[in-house]
Amino acid sequence: MTLATTRLVDDLGVLVAGQGGDGSLTVVNLLGTLLGRRGFHTYTAREVASRTKGGHAAALMRATSVARGCLGDRVDLLVAFDEEAVERAGHRLADDGIAVFDSSAGARPDGSLPVGATVLEVPLARIAVRSHRRDLFKNSVAFGLVARIVGVSDDEAAGILRERFRRLGDAAVRSNLRALETGFEVAELHGFGQGAGPWRLAPVERTERILITGNEAISLGFLAAGGRFFAGYPITPATEILTWLQAHLPAFGGLAVQAEDELSAVNLAIGAAMTGTRAMTASSGPGIALMQEGVSHAGSAEIPLVIVDCQRSGPSTGMPTKPEQGDLAMLAHGSTGDFPRVVLSPGDAADCFSLAIDATNLAQELQGPVYIALDQALGQDSATSEPFDLAVVTTTSGKRLSAHDVEGLRELRRYVLTDDGVSPWAPPGTPGGMTLVTGNEHNEWGLVSTAPGNRVTMMDKRMRKLDTVRDRLPGGRAWGEPAAAIGLLGVGMTTGVIGEAAQRLAAAGVPVACLQPRTVWPVPEETLEFIRARERVYVVEHNAEGQLAQLLAASGAPRERLRSILKYDGTPLRPGELVGRILAAEENTR
Amino acid sequence: MTATYPPAEPIWCAGCGHFGVQASLDRALDTLGIPRHETIILAGIGCSGTIQNNLGTYGYHALHGRVLPSATGVALADPSLTVVAAGGDGDGYAIGMGHLVHAFRRNVPFTYLVMNNAIYGLTKGQRSPTSPRGEDGAAPFDAVSMGLSVTGTTFVARGFTRRSAQLDRLTLAALEHARSGRGFAFLEVLSPCVNYNDTYPEWEAALHDVDAEADYNPSDRASAFRVVAEQAAQGRMAVGLIYRDDSGGSGQATAGVMADGRARPAAADLDPTRHAPVLQKLLDRYRV
Repeated sequence: MTLATTRLVDDLGVLVAGQGGDGSLTVVNLLGTLLGRRGFHTYTAREVASRTKGGHAAALMRATSVARGCLGDRVDLLVAFDEEAVERAGHRLADDGIAVFDSSAGARPDGSLPVGATVLEVPLARIAVRSHRRDLFKNSVAFGLVARIVGVSDDEAAGILRERFRRLGDAAVRSNLRALETGFEVAELHGFGQGAGPWRLAPVERTERILITGNEAISLGFLAAGGRFFAGYPITPATEILTWLQAHLPAFGGLAVQAEDELSAVNLAIGAAMTGTRAMTASSGPGIALMQEGVSHAGSAEIPLVIVDCQRSGPSTGMPTKPEQGDLAMLAHGSTGDFPRVVLSPGDAADCFSLAIDATNLAQELQGPVYIALDQALGQDSATSEPFDLAVVTTTSGKRLSAHDVEGLRELRRYVLTDDGVSPWAPPGTPGGMTLVTGNEHNEWGLVSTAPGNRVTMMDKRMRKLDTVRDRLPGGRAWGEPAAAIGLLGVGMTTGVIGEAAQRLAAAGVPVACLQPRTVWPVPEETLEFIRARERVYVVEHNAEGQLAQLLAASGAPRERLRSILKYDGTPLRPGELVGRILAAEENTR
Repeated sequence: MTATYPPAEPIWCAGCGHFGVQASLDRALDTLGIPRHETIILAGIGCSGTIQNNLGTYGYHALHGRVLPSATGVALADPSLTVVAAGGDGDGYAIGMGHLVHAFRRNVPFTYLVMNNAIYGLTKGQRSPTSPRGEDGAAPFDAVSMGLSVTGTTFVARGFTRRSAQLDRLTLAALEHARSGRGFAFLEVLSPCVNYNDTYPEWEAALHDVDAEADYNPSDRASAFRVVAEQAAQGRMAVGLIYRDDSGGSGQATAGVMADGRARPAAADLDPTRHAPVLQKLLDRYRV
């Protein structure tokens, strides 16, 4: 088969699907590496069932000539390892897309692919077994075919594959290279000669980049900021933070502990933090719910603590592998009583690194809990990014006293009243620094007190700390048309989507100003100013209640100017969908 | 000299068993010459959860049931400290029960003093997990048996607050066990509540002192189990140094000390520029 025209590709959407264990992710990773080396920006996501092996699994990738930070609207290339993959994902293929269907078990189901799409029915598994004796080589066969489709040379594809399988040994490299050759042969049969496929990759300037997930970037940032203790309990989609830090903290004299539950995890971190060690815990909604008492305790007892919430769909156990932003209200208001807390929200991997550093330092300055609100997409999807700049990392310990400082003091009260609300402290082991720490209401010495006057004084002292750190809270990222009457506002996984939607809206004659607040709570003045300066602001979020909009309104944003764009079906918003919804809303406004 | 908090007067009722526990701990710290500033007492919620205010050490008041994870965090993060966790039977065996089995499993070196009075005293007389079988039909829980059943447990002892000489020995042994890095030292102290469950006479009559047995071998876990079970079957309780494995280190990695005992870089060593080369290597793994 020969296609009439060659398409120049500068924005490619790929979906590889099959059963878990079919190697869908391998195909996408190989292609992602190849495109990354060509200078493309890549963004990779997985759709998996919450089970160890098997179940429908899909890997999605978008490669773009400009940085996007989200999946696109189109699937240009679909590789389906079985019938279920076509049935589930076929409708996502673009009308002019190409589908590779593994026909080992029979012909593709009728009506599941767009009429105009090019469909290559190839018995990938059968070929792999026949020529290479093992089913698992089908992903390398598929990669060979895909490489020919996107028009790269066979050598280039082989180089990527060799690199990928190198750590598995020479035998694995050789057998996968043979399977790749088979893929090239299959391509020949379909008329795709070397460098003569239906598509050609647009030339893109290559710069230094890394490919990293948000969970990895958070862990690296915490480590860079002097984080030395972590405790967590495995939970999708936050587990990688635990495993990453277990692998890397020991080399820095630190330790990551797998706790028996989240009640333990948060208190392990609190215990470690009390010794002056920078400590963090991480979880997702259900685990963060269990940690709420501990967070309140850190607020009352004034213990520096970083808590990462990689949000997944709730309520209850919800949809563990699906993204959502339904914990924002819990993070800002959850648990018992009033206490100062900060909620930060990164918008991409570089932001995860940067805000993990800010959070680690802020917790020390605030002597209290600092949340980082991630979501499953931001936490687990891989994206290319400029390499993080380690030279800008600084650490601050706030009002920490050394043994020498303590020696010079007449007296030391753990909760001494100060103008800024922050009391100097010395960790246990400091001679002469013996103090009492408690979550019960207490006097300056840390002795329990229920005296009304003391209570008010102490509450005000703690809450005053928020004002103290307010000007050090991370500022938002603004882009788009600054003078626009319409605003778009969102955090986390919506950031990249908003960015792309803004460009398309501008092109459609609807200029918008955009803001990603990097501090969600307390709501910074700049966020309120952004809203006050517009006629209306679309608050884009993945939950059913418009939690972010509610936090904004409760903090003084004019409620009548806020328009919620909500999504809670477990799939990330795509730019085209957002553009459509905003244009429809604008239509109704006129 | 820096003035710190004035150690509090105990809040306990006259005759409360907890006075004896505190006195033994106070004496043990002095006997071992442990400076108060190198000691942190962490206590849970309940009448026992005030002991941390009384001895001039660093003190921490944990959430209800969470004294063990808090103390584990402290002990892992700064192994140079003498860490003493304390609490009651409600705090440790009801709301905090889930952590106790893991404290035995992990064997992180610190001491845990449980003041067991078989009642909720602070909330005025509700049944606790160690209360005798009552109207609800629930059987009493025995933490000593549970501790013995966990592979990895290295120290299990039980004392009676009225037998102060023995309690002094047990408290000292527990602190030494933990401070030498051998692991988690569990010491339950029978500590009657004079207001809601005055068990002094009946407990005194129900004790079987293994320390007084000439041929009792506390390093023999199987015989420890047998003695504890036999006594329980007769409605009696074994007291004394019931089990101790002092054959080696805890095997638990802590910040600053690796599992094999070699020193790690200090946890306080935060300078990002010093660590930049290693961090850069980590980051380079992600290069496209």
